[in-house]
Amino acid sequence: MFGKPSRTSRTLQYLALAGYLIFLGFPLVWLLSTAFKPPRELVRLHPTLIPDNPTLQNFVQAFTEQELGRAALNSLQVSLASAVLTVLVAMPASYALARFRSKLGTAALGWVLLSQLFPFVLLIIPIFLVLRQVGLANTHAGLVLIYVVWALPFALWMLQGFVRNIPRELEEAASVDGATRVQVLRRVVFPLLAPGLVATALFSFISAWNEFFFALVLIKTPDLATLPVALARFVGIEGTARLGPLAAGSLLATLPSLIFFAFMQRRLSSGSLAGAVKG
Amino acid sequence: MTTLTERPDVERAGSARRSNRFRSDRTTIYLLLLPSLLPILVLSVFPLLRGIYLGFTDARAGRNVEVSFTGLANYRELLGDELFWNSFKIGLLWAVGVTVLQFLLALGLALLLNQQLRFRGVARVLAVVPWAMPPVVVGILWKLVYHPDAGLINEFFHRIGADGLRTNWLGDFSTALPAVIIVGVWAGMPQTTVVLLAGLQGVGRELHEAAAVDGASTWHRFRHVTLPALAPVIVAITSLDFIWNFNSFGLVYVLTAGGPGGKTMLPMLFAYEEAFRYGNYGYAAALGNVMVVIIVALLAVYLRRRLREAN
Amino acid sequence: MLRTRFRRLAAAAAVTVIGLGALTACGAGGDDEATSGPVKLRFLSLAWQKESLQVNKDLVAKWNAEHPDIQVEYVQGDWNSVHDQLLTSFEGGDAPDIVHYEASSIGEFSKQGYLADLSDLVSEDLKGQIDKSIWDTATVDGKVTGVPFLLESQVVIANKKLLDAAGVAVPPADGGWTWDEFQANAQKLTKSGQYGAAWALKSPTNRVLNLALNYDGKFFYGDGGRTEVKVGDAEKEIPKRIHDMIYTAKSASPEALGMSGADTLPGFFGGKYAMLPGSVSLRQQMVEQAPAGFEWVTLPPIKGLSTKQAANPQTLSISEDSKHKKQAAQFLEYFLNPTNMAALAKGDWLVPTGKQANEELVKLTAGKQGWDVAADSATDLTVAPFQQADGYPEWKTKYATPALQQYFANKITLDQLATQLVDGGKQVLR
Repeated sequence: MFGKPSRTSRTLQYLALAGYLIFLGFPLVWLLSTAFKPPRELVRLHPTLIPDNPTLQNFVQAFTEQELGRAALNSLQVSLASAVLTVLVAMPASYALARFRSKLGTAALGWVLLSQLFPFVLLIIPIFLVLRQVGLANTHAGLVLIYVVWALPFALWMLQGFVRNIPRELEEAASVDGATRVQVLRRVVFPLLAPGLVATALFSFISAWNEFFFALVLIKTPDLATLPVALARFVGIEGTARLGPLAAGSLLATLPSLIFFAFMQRRLSSGSLAGAVKG
Repeated sequence: MTTLTERPDVERAGSARRSNRFRSDRTTIYLLLLPSLLPILVLSVFPLLRGIYLGFTDARAGRNVEVSFTGLANYRELLGDELFWNSFKIGLLWAVGVTVLQFLLALGLALLLNQQLRFRGVARVLAVVPWAMPPVVVGILWKLVYHPDAGLINEFFHRIGADGLRTNWLGDFSTALPAVIIVGVWAGMPQTTVVLLAGLQGVGRELHEAAAVDGASTWHRFRHVTLPALAPVIVAITSLDFIWNFNSFGLVYVLTAGGPGGKTMLPMLFAYEEAFRYGNYGYAAALGNVMVVIIVALLAVYLRRRLREAN
Repeated sequence: MLRTRFRRLAAAAAVTVIGLGALTACGAGGDDEATSGPVKLRFLSLAWQKESLQVNKDLVAKWNAEHPDIQVEYVQGDWNSVHDQLLTSFEGGDAPDIVHYEASSIGEFSKQGYLADLSDLVSEDLKGQIDKSIWDTATVDGKVTGVPFLLESQVVIANKKLLDAAGVAVPPADGGWTWDEFQANAQKLTKSGQYGAAWALKSPTNRVLNLALNYDGKFFYGDGGRTEVKVGDAEKEIPKRIHDMIYTAKSASPEALGMSGADTLPGFFGGKYAMLPGSVSLRQQMVEQAPAGFEWVTLPPIKGLSTKQAANPQTLSISEDSKHKKQAAQFLEYFLNPTNMAALAKGDWLVPTGKQANEELVKLTAGKQGWDVAADSATDLTVAPFQQADGYPEWKTKYATPALQQYFANKITLDQLATQLVDGGKQVLR
């Protein structure tokens, strides 16, 4: 570490962190509180944090009315597949984009931005038609394909930034030492890219996990429905919702992403760089 | 491991020595790019080209509707469409506001989470809560936060005895846009934070230590070591954030549906209604094309400046 | 110059499309259904409340058990995304066979040709059960595009204890207050920390236009094929009265303006609002969520020149692209027979369109929990001109809603409101 921070600045840091976490994390508390409240406690003029009469009824309803278990399993499959595929496809491509300046690369990057810019709603119908044509409508494979394509822009933009940050000299040194290109990629580039890959995988996983609209229009067999679609069924007309079961379901839907991230976040730590280079 | 201390972008002189292998394999580029290009081609190029083309037609929703090419007719109409330009202004305000706040706050958080603080792991996990929550519940949650009678904010003011500060956050003409901007910042912060945090790992610690030994202040080190090294990542994530923010409207739609009095009518919401509610695909696509051109121009200016600074 | 460039672009796009079409054609035909076996129908339902969901599922299960040759697959959609879902699946040629939605929204789909004409598909018996003016809400250009089955009337839910305390008597089910009486009573119910009423006006346009029929306010006037928006005294009556309550008499809460119906509940249960003018379906929240000891009553619709309101019934339609329209219609007949319709209405706390169903429902509930008022309000509901107007959705979102929100926020005058509504009409109904 570079110099020990003073006690006051440490305190300030903790205070700032606490502020951030309240702002970002309070919904978790709210979900937790709401999920255990009976209907009558949800419409109080002065809401309470701790339910007066905590109940598990919301969880029971959520699971008996909608097949949340199966939906979660479907979502997990789709999201993991999307995350893995995005990383596998984006890693080599971003390397190529960053290391070899070619017209094709520039065009691809520009295109990637453009595709994110155009009103998404106008692309939905053509995409739907294409997937039907190739027989991928109503399949998880079709969903994965869309999610990967939609995560790729982010992945490519981010990862090529990370690749640029890796000193070229490192690779050259390794290749002078007689390593083959694949070895260079595997032993030098890949470990240094790890934080970026984690960010990419996480992005891809969570976007797929939470994606609603394509999952809604593409999947018509109820057994194949994903979690966001199942959860939306607790929402009613004009902003009304069955808040209890919705909160209970949402709480459980939030956890996998958080757990996934908890496992991955270590990879985001300093030290992976030094360790990787030495190993 | 002396190479580590070298700045990535200094010392390119030795490139003549660069092994031929690094040059010769142009084909590898294509091999590396191919897996990502193929799906993009099918699922993004075709719909996009079709979308762009629709902007020059009178396409409408309907069974067996004839579509005819109308050239610039949509754009002539669009020039005089005050409602759209009004919403475009709101959209810029929204996108710039959200992106800037998001970036500044996320940078601060990323720097904190990069420190050796206690509970860092837990803190990191909590920081991605907005991202991990299902979007259906997010809108409902924020409506309850801003609820005039029983909302968390007004309840907070009530409990600390500051009833005078209670406001109809989403219903008041002056607070509606700031209120939704805060939600936008909240929703997008985790992504930005995680990316910046990942980017910080690429900032060589040796550089920091060298600078620290030279007696540089924390601010100085941040300004002259961290920021420049982070620049490519910052440029990438802020441009993407800007685009995403400009394009996102789902949350705002749930919260205010564009109201009150059109104060939060984002341009993408406008285009969405044009396409999906009124069935005017052609006109909606034309709106999209115009927005793409303007945003690309803005981004080009931004990216050029950033890239020049970086060099 | 420019033109040729655009032509070229179009050509390029076309080439790409053809190329891709050729590429993808080999994989086509994957999702065709087997031709043998029972007929399969997909039914997209929007029921979401616990009870009505159960009723729907039970009815479908019962049908499937009795009809092995016509199997219905129950698919639950949701109100917020159903429009996008339907439009996409219609355009993609992959729509459900039976579609649950609402009269004011299926008109557009019908004009676009996506919904079958049910005139010859439904039985005379079912036709006779439902009032002509209700059928009219789902009839577009002479085509019956849906069977209206659940009605939502606007009533007033009141806090009984507050009424008693203020000495306001509950009117009988068949003789509600006039607007003057309602306003006067709201005034009586207003004191420090308590408003007589809360008007939830998050979506003000539908609300105002529905109630405007009380004073014969039609807003949309047809003149031989051309439609235009007119705002005269009749149209001004309802907005003016609501505005008066908020700003002159101060008997209605300004905070409720941005709320939807359910948002007013904490304030209502907390005693902040004495009366909630709103949908009959609010009774469900009363039963489910009112605190212990809370007494509520359902007051009949408010009366202007009449108690007429615009009806926007929930509907069941059949896709034009469905391969089994006859079987789908058969299912509808079963699904909407008086007993079933009564059960569906009960589950959703709405009013059934069928006469017999309505009678059965009153019998079933003994008229309690506001069912007497609900049943009686059915006759007030009728078709309104705006529901048949072509550009209504666009007029509503682009002009009417912002203008009404400004008016109710006291930012523009009644005359300015009228001008904006009329000008908006000119823009949209060209």
